[in-house]
Amino acid sequence: MIAGLILFLILPVAVGALVYGFQRWGRVVVVLSVGVTTALGVAIVMLPLGRTVTLWGRQIVMGGSVSFLGRDLILEDADRIAIAFLYLTAAAVFALAGQASSRRLIFPVGFGMLSLLSGSLLIRPLIYGVLLLEMAISLSMLALQVEGAPHSQGVLQYVSFSLLAMPGLLLVQWLMDRYAVTPDNVALRETAVALLAFSFAILLGSVPFHMWLPSMADDGDPFASAFVLTVNHGAIWFLLLAFLEAYPDLTTHARFGSLVSGAGIAMVGVGGVMGAAQQRLGRLMGYGALIDAGVGLVAFSVFSQQGLAISLLCLLVRPIGLVLMASGLAGLRALGGRDGGIERLCGVARQAPWSTLAFVAGGVSLSGLPVSAGFAGRWALYRALSPAQLTSALIMMGGSVGLMTGVWRSLSVLLVREDRPSEEIEGAAAAGERGRIKAIVVALFVAASAILGLAPQLLAPIATRLAGLYTFFAP
Amino acid sequence: MQFISELLTRLVNITAVPAMAGVLGTALLLLVSRDWRLNILALAAQYFFVMLLMTRTVRVEMAAVKGLIGWVTCLVFYVTEQQAHVAMRSGDASETLSLEPWFRARLEGWRTEGISAQAAFSFMAAAVVGVAALALATSVPLPEVSTGLALVCYLLSGFGVLLLGLSDEPLRVGVGLLMFLSGFDLCYTALEPSLIVTGLLGAIMFVVALGTAYLKSSETVTGDGAALQ
Repeated sequence: MIAGLILFLILPVAVGALVYGFQRWGRVVVVLSVGVTTALGVAIVMLPLGRTVTLWGRQIVMGGSVSFLGRDLILEDADRIAIAFLYLTAAAVFALAGQASSRRLIFPVGFGMLSLLSGSLLIRPLIYGVLLLEMAISLSMLALQVEGAPHSQGVLQYVSFSLLAMPGLLLVQWLMDRYAVTPDNVALRETAVALLAFSFAILLGSVPFHMWLPSMADDGDPFASAFVLTVNHGAIWFLLLAFLEAYPDLTTHARFGSLVSGAGIAMVGVGGVMGAAQQRLGRLMGYGALIDAGVGLVAFSVFSQQGLAISLLCLLVRPIGLVLMASGLAGLRALGGRDGGIERLCGVARQAPWSTLAFVAGGVSLSGLPVSAGFAGRWALYRALSPAQLTSALIMMGGSVGLMTGVWRSLSVLLVREDRPSEEIEGAAAAGERGRIKAIVVALFVAASAILGLAPQLLAPIATRLAGLYTFFAP
Repeated sequence: MQFISELLTRLVNITAVPAMAGVLGTALLLLVSRDWRLNILALAAQYFFVMLLMTRTVRVEMAAVKGLIGWVTCLVFYVTEQQAHVAMRSGDASETLSLEPWFRARLEGWRTEGISAQAAFSFMAAAVVGVAALALATSVPLPEVSTGLALVCYLLSGFGVLLLGLSDEPLRVGVGLLMFLSGFDLCYTALEPSLIVTGLLGAIMFVVALGTAYLKSSETVTGDGAALQ
C-alpha cells in the first residue's frame, strides 16, 4: 500500500528529473508537465480521504497522518484545495511557457518547487514548512535567471528578502509555544505578532519591502516570475493561514488588523501610482501583482469569514491574469529584445496580436475590471468596504485605475503604425508568435477570464468553502 | 571518536574568545576585501570558528555537520570563481595560478595604492553595525545563549545584511546570505537542536550557494562579469 501524500512529494521530483532529460523533445516536455500537474491537482481533491483506491494495480490511501523522515505529514481539507491550486496553477504556467520555449528551466525546477511547497503545507510542526518554503524560494533562482542574459538583480533581491523573513517565522512558533505555557507573559505574544507581520510582509512583497517584485518581473524569466507570483505566493498565503489556525491568539491582537489593512492599502496605492507611470512591461506586470496581493490583504483585514473568502477568491483567480501577462510579455520581448522598454515595441501589435491580447487581457484581469476574472473579488470587496471604510474602497479603485492606465499606455504604443522592413516583421513574427497552438492556448485563457468574470459562481463557492475550513475568524 | 570529541570540547573551552575574534575578523575581511581567493579562505575559516562556537550549545557531531556543509558551499564558490576567472582570462597565456606571486602582488597593491574608498566605506559601515550589535546583545539578549554568543549572532547577521546591501555581484550576495544564515543558525540551534532542522538549514545554504553560483556562471557566459580583482 502506498501513502498518497508521499506521492505528492516524490512524484514531482521524479517527473522533474525526467523532464530535464527530455528537454530536447519540446512537445514531450510540455505534455508531460501539463499532464502530470493537472493529474496530481485533480487527484488530490478527487481521491477520497482515508479510503484505499486501486490505481494500476497499486493500492493508494489518501489522507490521515503519514510519517516521513520522522515528521508528520497531515492532509486536511484545506490543504487539499491549497495543493490542488498549486498544481493546477503550475499546469497553467507550463501550458503557456511551453508555447514560448520548452528548454526553460521552469519545467524541471518548477516540479522540484512543487514538491517542496506541497511538503511545506503538509508537514507539521510548521517550522519545517517554513524551511521547505524557503528552500523552494532559493531553488527558484535557477528558473528565474534568463539563459544567456546578465544576472538578474531582481532575482537576487527576491531571494535575499525572502531569506530575511525566515528567522522571524521560525521564532514565532517557539515564542507561541512558550506563551501557551506562560499566558501571563504577554510580551511573548507581542513579539510573535510583530515577527509574524514583519516576515509575511517581506514574503508577500508589502511596501516598503516590495522592491524585488517589479525588478524580478522585469529582468527575470516571465513565466518563472508568474510561477513565483502565483504558486509561491499561494503557498505563502496558505502557510500564513496555517500559522493563524495553529495560533489563533495572534489574530486577537489589537493592532493585527490595522497592520494588515495598512500594508494592503499601501501596496495598492504604490502599485497604482507606479503602474501608471511605467515604461517597461515587466515592471508593469510586477506592479499588477503588487496591487492584487494588496487587495487580498485588505480583504483579509476585514477579519471575517466573508473577508477571508474574498481574499481567497482573489488568490484563486490571480494566476489567470498573471499567466496571461507573462505570456504576452514573453512574446513581446521576443520582438523587442530583452531590454523590455516600451519604446522598442512601437507598433508590434500587428506582428504579435496574440501576445498583445494576452498582455492586455492579463492586465484587465489584474485591474479587476468587469468581464474579467479579477472583477468578482474586487466587486465583493468594494461592497464589503464601502459602508465603513469608503476611503479604503476608493484607494482600491484608484489602484485599479492606475494599473489600467499603464496597460492602456502600453497598448497605445503597441498599436502605433510604424513602417518597418518586411524582413524584420517576418523574422519578428516568427520569433514571437509560434503558430496556432499559442493562439488557441491564449484564446482559451482569455475566454476563461471572461467566463469567470461573467459567472463568478463557478469559483466563488470554492473560495467560500475554503474560508469556512479556517476557524480563527469564527465567532 | 570519543577522543576527538573530548579534544574538540577542550579546544572549545580554551578557544571561545579567539573563535569570536576569528568570526569578527573573517566577517570584516569578507566585507572589505574584493579578492575572491581571500574571501573564500575567509569564509572557510569563518565556518571553522562558527563550528567551534556552536559546540557550546549543541553536540560536537552536529556542529561538525554544519561546518562540513559550510565548507562544501565554499567549494562550490571556489569552483565557480575559478571557472569564471579562467573564462575571463582565457586569452592571457601568461596567467599562472601560483600563490606566491599573487600574494606579493596583493601586498604591493596595498603598499602603493593604500585602502580603496569602497573598502574604507565598508569598514566604517561595519563599525556602525558592530556598535549596533553590541547594543543589541546587551539590551535584547537572545534566549538560551550567552551574551558573547548573542553578540556573535548579531554581528554575523548584521554583517550579512550589510554585505547584501553593498553588493550586486551574485557570489558576494550569496556570501552575505550565508553569513546572515550562519548568524541565525548559531542562536537557533540552541533553541531547536533537531537534526532535521540542521539538515534543512544546511540544504537551504547549499541551494543558495548553488543558485548564486548559477547566476555567476550565466554572467560569465554573457561576458557581463566585472573584473574580479
